[in-house]
Amino acid sequence: MAPKISPVTGHYVDVDVADVTYQVFYLHNGTGIPLLCQHTAGCHNHQYRNLLRDPAVTERFQVIAYDLPYHGKSDPPNGEQWWTRQYDLTAEFFQEFVVNFARTLELDRPVFMGSSMGGVVALHLARDHSEKFRALIALEAADYTPGFYLDWWHHPAVEDGSVAASVIEGLIAPQTSELDRRLTMHYYAQAAPGVLKGDLYFYSVEHDMRETVSEIDTSKVPLYLLTGEYDYLSTPTQTIATAEKIVGAKVETMCEIGHFPMSENHDTFMTYLRPILDEIAERHKEP
Amino acid sequence: MTTFDSRWMNSWMDTVNSDLVMPRIGRYFTAGFLLGIGDEEWVVSMQRGQIERITDNLSIETPWSFALRAPRESWEKFVQKIPPPMYNDIWAMAHPLHGRLRMDGDVKVLWQNIRALTWMLACMRQVGDREVVEQRATRV
Repeated sequence: MAPKISPVTGHYVDVDVADVTYQVFYLHNGTGIPLLCQHTAGCHNHQYRNLLRDPAVTERFQVIAYDLPYHGKSDPPNGEQWWTRQYDLTAEFFQEFVVNFARTLELDRPVFMGSSMGGVVALHLARDHSEKFRALIALEAADYTPGFYLDWWHHPAVEDGSVAASVIEGLIAPQTSELDRRLTMHYYAQAAPGVLKGDLYFYSVEHDMRETVSEIDTSKVPLYLLTGEYDYLSTPTQTIATAEKIVGAKVETMCEIGHFPMSENHDTFMTYLRPILDEIAERHKEP
Repeated sequence: MTTFDSRWMNSWMDTVNSDLVMPRIGRYFTAGFLLGIGDEEWVVSMQRGQIERITDNLSIETPWSFALRAPRESWEKFVQKIPPPMYNDIWAMAHPLHGRLRMDGDVKVLWQNIRALTWMLACMRQVGDREVVEQRATRV
């Protein structure tokens, strides 16, 4: 029997951010408009496993799902004593990394999509780097998401992986299949100690766009916001309130979805994502 | 509508104690915790991942390490087969805008046993309907 080799390929690339080099891992499949996919806090690119394998997406988009430094197969920085300091993700680093990653791969104004902290950074990119993207898709985002930077994520009295997997289970919609639920939790149990908490520094401490989210100019870059009805961290109500501050932003609530749409329920997620991808593809059709 | 009486608690205890996963994930879960359902309070005593006892006959000598207290309406939504958004999880319910669940006491014990705790709370959704519960003996 022929081996079942996936069309999804893995690659490593060196990306420089602020004069420091990072060895970055990414998964790739498809042709056409580049679609960058950012995983959630303390996780990795397997959250996009189904999107990467969906011909309805990959026939028009080259899906590029990377692991942020410190996550998945992407290393901490080369040549830096990262083990001597606490890992706390910052908005400045996060944005610069995404921009430099796209530039390093010579991507022509990619579409950026991210969930949770990835959705939040999409708002930052929309405000600060609109000219570098064709469109931004913010999943599970709001202009202010406090309350999750907790010491218990990384504490000697508890086991980081079990705590992370158990707590995030409550962010998964109950309609999710058992397999996708367990995989989503499993990925959360794989992070290096302290990485989830460090990501949440950006998400819950530094990120506060309540006063500036209205500066986003959707005439420069289209912005879509999708939030699952079971997301209690950035609720649909909060996402809609955020979208209402941004002229031209498009927003929708996803039924039977929680905080990890791409990893929970690909088919349901696609019913919301497909029209957006269609719109983007139509706008950028080859003459 | 769920009636959280001693029969219901017995049924939940049976469900948890016959669960095949609990002995594995709850092996080190030996502690008491308080379950506040509206005005009523129950103490659930855990022994190596099994419920040893549930009682509402509380005194200052009834030990518990941490407490989960929420309005009855919140728990009623939580135990539904498909709970509505914001009521499917204790962390969701802990949001002040939603279920108004409060976590008190030595929450370190809660975090240490979170895998088994969330699993056994999810077992509440398997507790049979009222007729099944009625058929079971009262042991509390």
